[in-house]
Amino acid sequence: MNLGTRKILDNSFTAVGMGSIVVMALALLAVLTPIVYNGVGAVFFTGTIEHRTILYKEYGRGDAKTIETQTATAERYRGEAYRMLSDFEAEMEGMPFEASSRYRSQYAQVRAAMSSLLGPLPGDPTPMLTRFQYGQTRWEKAEEKLHEILYEKKWDYSDPTVMAKAFYVPRAEAFAGTMLAPLFGYLDRHLADMMQPEFTVYWGFFTDRSLDAHIFGGIWPEIQGTFFLAIGAMLFAFPLGVIAAVYFTEYAKEGFFTSILRSANSTLAGVPSIVFGLFGLAFFINTMKVSESKSVLAGSLTLAIMILPTIIRAAEEAILSVPKTYKEASLGLGSTKWNTIATVILPAALPGIITGGIISLGRAAGETAPIIFTAAVSVGSAIGIADVFSSPTPALSWNIYNLASEHEMACEIRHVQYGMVLSLVSIVLLLNLSAILLRAKISQKLKG
Amino acid sequence: MTEEVKSDGKRSNAFVVSPQKRKMQKLAKNAGEALLLGIASFVAIIVLFIFYFVAVDAIPYFQLRGFTEFFTSTGWYPAGEPGEFGALAIIYGSAMVTLGSALLAVPMGIAAAVCLSDILPFSVRQYAKPVIEMLAAIPSVAFGFFALVILAPLLQSNGGPLLMWTWWVLAAPFLLLAVIVAADLLSARFAQEENRKKMALLLQSLFGILAVLVLYVVGTKLNAIEIITGTNALNVSIILSFMALPTIVSVAEDALQSVGRELREGSYALGATRAETLLKTVLPAASSGILAAVILGIMRALGETMVVWMASGNSSHIPDPWFNYLEAVRTLTATIAGDMGEADQVTGSARYHVLFAMGLLLLVISFFSNLVSERIVVRQRKILSGQ
Amino acid sequence: MQMRAEHKESAAKGSATATRDIYIPSERVAVSGGGTPHVVAKDFSIYYGDFEAVKKVNAEILSKYVTAIIGPSGCGKSTFLRAINRMNDLIPSCHTSGILRFDGEDIYGKLTDEVLLRKKIGMVFQKPNPFPKSIFDNIAYGPRLHGMNDRKQLEEIVEKSLRKAALWDEVSDRLERNALGLSGGQQQRLCVARTLAVEPEILLLDEPTSALDPKATAKIEDLIQELRGSYTIMIVTHNMQQASRVSDYTMFFYEGVLVEYAQTAQLFTNPKDRMTEDYITGRFS
Ligand SMILES: Nc1ncnc2c1ncn2[C@@H]1O[C@H](COP(=O)(O)OP(=O)(O)OP(=O)(O)O)[C@@H](O)[C@H]1O
Ligand SMILES: [Mg+2]
Repeated sequence: MNLGTRKILDNSFTAVGMGSIVVMALALLAVLTPIVYNGVGAVFFTGTIEHRTILYKEYGRGDAKTIETQTATAERYRGEAYRMLSDFEAEMEGMPFEASSRYRSQYAQVRAAMSSLLGPLPGDPTPMLTRFQYGQTRWEKAEEKLHEILYEKKWDYSDPTVMAKAFYVPRAEAFAGTMLAPLFGYLDRHLADMMQPEFTVYWGFFTDRSLDAHIFGGIWPEIQGTFFLAIGAMLFAFPLGVIAAVYFTEYAKEGFFTSILRSANSTLAGVPSIVFGLFGLAFFINTMKVSESKSVLAGSLTLAIMILPTIIRAAEEAILSVPKTYKEASLGLGSTKWNTIATVILPAALPGIITGGIISLGRAAGETAPIIFTAAVSVGSAIGIADVFSSPTPALSWNIYNLASEHEMACEIRHVQYGMVLSLVSIVLLLNLSAILLRAKISQKLKG
Repeated sequence: MTEEVKSDGKRSNAFVVSPQKRKMQKLAKNAGEALLLGIASFVAIIVLFIFYFVAVDAIPYFQLRGFTEFFTSTGWYPAGEPGEFGALAIIYGSAMVTLGSALLAVPMGIAAAVCLSDILPFSVRQYAKPVIEMLAAIPSVAFGFFALVILAPLLQSNGGPLLMWTWWVLAAPFLLLAVIVAADLLSARFAQEENRKKMALLLQSLFGILAVLVLYVVGTKLNAIEIITGTNALNVSIILSFMALPTIVSVAEDALQSVGRELREGSYALGATRAETLLKTVLPAASSGILAAVILGIMRALGETMVVWMASGNSSHIPDPWFNYLEAVRTLTATIAGDMGEADQVTGSARYHVLFAMGLLLLVISFFSNLVSERIVVRQRKILSGQ
Repeated sequence: MQMRAEHKESAAKGSATATRDIYIPSERVAVSGGGTPHVVAKDFSIYYGDFEAVKKVNAEILSKYVTAIIGPSGCGKSTFLRAINRMNDLIPSCHTSGILRFDGEDIYGKLTDEVLLRKKIGMVFQKPNPFPKSIFDNIAYGPRLHGMNDRKQLEEIVEKSLRKAALWDEVSDRLERNALGLSGGQQQRLCVARTLAVEPEILLLDEPTSALDPKATAKIEDLIQELRGSYTIMIVTHNMQQASRVSDYTMFFYEGVLVEYAQTAQLFTNPKDRMTEDYITGRFS
């Protein structure tokens, strides 16, 4: 091969390596950007009067006066629309059966969309579920609903070789000539008047209980549950892990038994997380009966087992990186071995140990599979600290799954899901970031 | 600690203590060490317990239904009357997404590891490392959410063009490179010294046209593909590869770093380029460590639950044709997670125990992979330290 | 080579006949209160596994004197020194035979509490190794270990120790600063002070100046002169000038064997053993 080609190959090799790293960075960016962007939308958004009403009625927050006046204005504009509906209903009554049946199903769709936009229509009975008691709380959702009212979605099946395509037909055409015809234009013009949009900063998203399975309200129960589980896991795993690391680094004599113990550690690190869940169910709940059924305690224990190997490894590394001379100096001064470990080695290794602990804490907070069978419930309120021994809890990781995959209105509450994902990712990444910074500080200190 | 034994009074020598005290000290020391050992053995005990308790709940399934159905049938109807528990398609689904993610993550991971250990200057490496750490730290459920809510709709609506662009971006540089190298090699082989340049140019243009043709034809083929469902094996493989990458990169980088400077310098001194040094000397020397990295990365993908549960489509069948990554699949982990909710109430039935059987299968696979990778790492360390 | 064989023979004979079984320097220089045997070795050997690193040493180390240990690299100087306060216990493969006594009690006896022993026999290492704590806490570390918690008393001890180590004037205004901020020489004197704070009877110094520059070395040597007469000091050094400058007696080790042990002046001017002569005249490295 001539030298030019070899050089080209060399450079392309470099490019491939760089490319892979760039791809990783892009992957990180691709995952984080939408999560951050949409997640922020759970707190900062354009809220409607419905949002303010809920906050006032259910959480006792907000200024009663302004809400009252805004509601009055909104009601005035809504009244006009309601009037058109009742006019049209009266008109339909008067129509011959065939004529009215032509409108009936479409009109039902319009009514349903209207009540979803504005809340229960006059004359409707008060719905049982909270989710039907209010209209849209977010402006972009209100606009979506408006679109649903204004247009009918139809499917184009004309070309059998490709998938059917959706297209939209204005409903105004279908209702042309009836008393409902002006409604569409009216809604289009006065949506803002009816909804009273306002830029909203909803910090309560993090601290409010949820209403009607997260259709409204905040995610406090999940945040609290995540903290309980993660901290509970640390309470078990951290002391155990550090002590085991002390044993491995300071006491263990190399030999068959020690190598078995070390192997066990790496085996445990490799066990798939769902198997931890199975084990937690079979052992802690069905055999040990630490609780009736799922509980924070059972979940914490399961998570603790999962993060134990990580903590042991990090602590071992930190202890091994403490200069041997410290130990010699301390023993030379007439300190006992245990005293040396407690007063010299562990303090010097502490930042490293804590770094490992923080990373494990993040891991425990983020894991889902081990808590599915042992601790997590989909709906529930925040539990008291005394209940951790007996009650299950909602948790961010589990509820993200649940809201995104199993919730019957999953598509309506994307903002809540994004908000949860952002909260979880922020918790985990902030923990990791602090660990990275701590480590950087340690290495700087070691350099002098 | 403080009291010095002066009781016997005959000496000022404080370092000799009474036999009783010495005995007590020994006892305390041994007791302390035993306690530490007990705590350190905790991990081993847990591992035993995990095997025991998963196996204890898995064995009843095999007693009830035997082995044949589980490993050979693709019929998965656990709720039927009577239920069918053919896990072949599910095992196949697990294997498929694991393989898919490995195909993406292994080359990229090794390339990135090489880049980190040998190519990037330290200042850049400092920023690349946190990226990898962050990628490793993101909870799996967040990846699953991304796969389900963002990637799946994207694949479903724009799958064809997406595939086409990916193909072009990835294949174009490699084909270009192949053209240059092929032209160079052939002209060196068949042309006289003086004609070599001309011949190379000719071959390059010839191959170049061919390459463009290949690019175009495959691209249009890909563009025409309609993806029926965005929650499919491809989607999951992509996301799982993101998750396996950090493991592969960090373990492989350790392996590369443990190859000494001398080896590299020896190669450079013989006039090798960096790529040649890395490919011919460093990578082979680190190969067993890299193999361990690959095994660990694959295990991460195989053991992952949330992503596959949320975004694989959970359809228990073997795709048609068997390599069709655009179809929905179902994996072992997702089945355990998904079916336990209903099986939970019928503890004691085959439906409950079959999930433990799957768990046992995963556990055994992960155990042996771990053992193998550990052995490999130990062996490499021995070889490199010259023992 | 021949000389060594001869010496070995004589050593073997010496232990066999056991009449005058202990190597002691012939003449004694005058030091107030000194001169009684403080550490006594009888046929004392140290092994790393099967390898005998120190071979059947017979010697008396006299109290309140400075004894230097010289010899080529790997001859067992550190091993011997570390055996005296049982620092070798840290090395699992290390074990001993023979007798080593301190104040008449067996250092390796069954009833010896090595922690209390190390309190009596302090050690300063080759590389300064202060803890990553404040200067004050470094010095107070030992006293605190042994149960002293009264701040007043601690302050007194810290000042006294620092003064003894000739460091007080340099650091008295920054006792709360991290000890790692001191210069190498200061760190080493801090380590001496830290050891003195435990009030040992013997100070073991293993090449205490090898990591220091000449100026810091001079300070440490001055310090050793200061401490002479108050402590029994043993110092391992590669620097023969240093040995002749600071020590009263010198031991010469070769391949684990104590070849010669005499008054320093005599050993350097008029060595009895050919090996010693070769070594101090630099005929082998
Ligand atoms: N931990 C150990 N395990 C096994 N052998 C050892 C150990 N430490 C020292 N040795 C061996 O014991 C012999 C004496 O070592 P020692 O450190 O006492 O020598 P030294 O005289 O202090 O040398 P130096 O002047 O280089 O410090 C050497 O041959 C050395 O290889
Ligand atoms: Mg030495």
